[in-house]
Amino acid sequence: MTELQKDESEFQKPKPSTHPKAGLILTFAIVLALLGLLAWGLKKAQAGPVEKGMAPGFTITGYDGKTITLSELRGKVVIINFWASWCPPCREEAAYLEQTWRKYDGKGVIFIGVDWVDTEKEALAYIKEFDITYINGPDIGTRIAQAYNIKGVPETFFVAKNGELRGVHIGPLKSPQLDDKIEELLSEQYP
Amino acid sequence: MIVDIGLIALTIAFAFSLYATFTSVYGGWRGRPAWVESARNASLLVFLLLTVSVITVVYSLYTFDFSLAYVYDVSSRSMSPFLRVTALWGGQQGSVLFWAWLMAAFVGAVLVRKWERDRELMPYVIFVSMLTTTFFVGVVLFITNPFTRLWHVSGADELIQAIFQPANSMLYLAEDGNGLNPLLRHFGMIGHPPTTYLGFTGFVIPFAFAIAALITGKSRGDEWIRTTRRWTLVAWIFLSIGLILGGRWAYDVLGWGGFWGWDPIENAMLMPWLTGTAFLHSVMMTEKRGMMKKWNMVLIILTYSLSLFGTFITRTGVISSVHAFSKSALGPAFFAFIGFTFIGSVSLLYLRWDTLKSEHSLESFISRESAYVLQNMLFLAITFAVFWGTVFPLISELVTGTKITVGPPYFKSATGPLFLILVFLMGIAPLLAWRKQAVRALGKAIWIPFVFSLGIAAIAGYLHRMHPASIFGLWLVAFVLSSILAEFWKGIQARHATRGENPLTALMHLISRNHRRYGGYIIHLGVILIALGVIGDAYYKQETQGTVLAGESLSIGGYRLQFEGLRGYNGSDGREIVEAVTTLYQGNQLIRQIIPRRDYFTVQQQNATVPGVYSTPGMDFYVLLIGWDQGKSASFKIYINSLINWIWIGGLVMIFGTIIAAWSNPGQREATYVLKPEAVTPHLLPQES
Repeated sequence: MTELQKDESEFQKPKPSTHPKAGLILTFAIVLALLGLLAWGLKKAQAGPVEKGMAPGFTITGYDGKTITLSELRGKVVIINFWASWCPPCREEAAYLEQTWRKYDGKGVIFIGVDWVDTEKEALAYIKEFDITYINGPDIGTRIAQAYNIKGVPETFFVAKNGELRGVHIGPLKSPQLDDKIEELLSEQYP
Repeated sequence: MIVDIGLIALTIAFAFSLYATFTSVYGGWRGRPAWVESARNASLLVFLLLTVSVITVVYSLYTFDFSLAYVYDVSSRSMSPFLRVTALWGGQQGSVLFWAWLMAAFVGAVLVRKWERDRELMPYVIFVSMLTTTFFVGVVLFITNPFTRLWHVSGADELIQAIFQPANSMLYLAEDGNGLNPLLRHFGMIGHPPTTYLGFTGFVIPFAFAIAALITGKSRGDEWIRTTRRWTLVAWIFLSIGLILGGRWAYDVLGWGGFWGWDPIENAMLMPWLTGTAFLHSVMMTEKRGMMKKWNMVLIILTYSLSLFGTFITRTGVISSVHAFSKSALGPAFFAFIGFTFIGSVSLLYLRWDTLKSEHSLESFISRESAYVLQNMLFLAITFAVFWGTVFPLISELVTGTKITVGPPYFKSATGPLFLILVFLMGIAPLLAWRKQAVRALGKAIWIPFVFSLGIAAIAGYLHRMHPASIFGLWLVAFVLSSILAEFWKGIQARHATRGENPLTALMHLISRNHRRYGGYIIHLGVILIALGVIGDAYYKQETQGTVLAGESLSIGGYRLQFEGLRGYNGSDGREIVEAVTTLYQGNQLIRQIIPRRDYFTVQQQNATVPGVYSTPGMDFYVLLIGWDQGKSASFKIYINSLINWIWIGGLVMIFGTIIAAWSNPGQREATYVLKPEAVTPHLLPQES
């Protein structure tokens, strides 16, 4: 019972001379920390996806249990697609992605589907719905998404034979954007 | 041409709002009434100019002016005139303009209505509110301008968006626009943005008065609270309606059988609502007892800051939300504005902390006063829990490098118990006396509701043995409900006894004699009904799914849904519709047909799953068509959402109560509810400030 009383009486009797210094410092510290956090978040949000330089390396385990590591795919063109089952625009491009994959399967091109912030049940239903045959796995701890600094899904990154990033496409891919990009990257020389 | 008028009006509005901001503060500081008067006129002009801008955008939407990028994005020829007009808030550019316009409208209304009353506060009220307006008008003008046109530069693949004609370009005039996002074509999403914006912008008024009171040192008295009470109520009820409409939209459109998902965007709206609700209550303590002045200041600053904070995190993509919001260039400008507001308010609060002393101290733990303190703490604790969960992904990424999103389970377990205590308090607190409550008298007041609610809980316990927590919830709801109704009953009895009025007349007189008190009780009734709906959703929800051939059935909770067949046709606004015809039986008795459907919007290439619902006071039988196979079989997901309709009914009751509470009592001054003089010992009388 005295708990409340004490709280209230403390609240109403700050002696005019003693400003609540500790409280003040604490309040400002909290406000500034919050603003700092927001500034940092904003900076990250504004940075946009990584587009140039070496593609950040990662290893992903697919829903089928197979594992693939980006750095072991030198000499091949790699298409990394971030998606989620809850994402309507992803559905728009899913059929086109799968169709393009079948067209280039075995011709020096690898597709990797990275499933971002999703639940396995829904993701598997999605894969089944579009009959997706290239490797698809969950982005555990969103580590891959952070390395590529994605803003949302779908986003598709293009990796050249030498492991360098050659651009990113934000939003659903439409025919023939993906074919064109793959042809361009396939034509590059790799020792 | 028309578009140019809108753009010019917007530009002048920006100049005038900047002018009003500075002249008002200068006039106030130097004590020059003419300057303040000029600032006031400029502010009113800003409202008129923004009105012109808004009309221009609406006209462009209505007349399919697809040369404007905004119209091209959110409107299309297949949309009805009504939808085209509401597309004003269907995208970011229009939304921000609409927001600025509403804010200017609030400011204008205050300047017209309250001008004579609070002359000392006015310069700074104009300063704070017009500074905010300037910010939003500036954002519309410089960052997300709805008057941006589409241009085609010769030789380029993509169109350019610019206000003025770029070199070597031609105006691009599209044949048709993209059209409003299909998911937003629902009454909930048409009503949700305007009500939400009215709520958010409405809180600018009490905030501006609070800051003005701090600047002038008038925070010692409580005029600012009396002046803004009704404005706060209006802002609060619009925010409440916005929340409920948003929930209804999610329930009808998103197709997951729920109405609240603890998504950052929802939390962003809930937090200012929580602190705003605390503020609404807390100011009564100041009015009646001269206490809790610090609480009020802190709460209104928090409410306003949280609404800015919520808008910021969701609109700039700092915290990702599953809602597809357009990320934009708002970030840095918005950040600077938020930083200025936070630091400015906290500094002012510090400087004037001494003016906010209470005139009385708490006398007893069991009293109306202590209940108010407790409710403020509960509201703040819930707000903090929600806040923590909302920013946690950001903090976790900063500290551990991994973004961890906390889901609904966290929010439910963190806020659930606090909400329960709050509901309990809602039943008890109105019965408590000011200053000191005798326990025996309290017992006498609540024993009937208490026994009654125990009876209800016993019946519920017998019927729903598998959910012990829900029995407690139902007991609580029954207890609070009956104690509120008992208050009405006591009032009616008293009038009946003393004046011989019949119960209905007595009820009408009772309410009309004291709008604030009984309006408040009615709002509480609404809250209780919503709590009932939430309990139903949390504990009594049933669901099933399955794939069936025509003639086959799915069963759940004593009901049987028989699938009859599929049919498809083209809808009016460019959608292809596939419907499943199903029949609902309870036992062997036919109840009615339910037709869930899937709409495919060809232009946007987007699906919308529209549930088929059989609605009763006790539950919704909610059917989703989730897939089909060439006319042979269809897959359904079925929910039995128990008690869910009480959420919407409760919302309506809350609106009704707010209208009563905000209605001024004819011939009565606002200060009627100060304690009766004889009840106050002389040393407790409020000092004149």
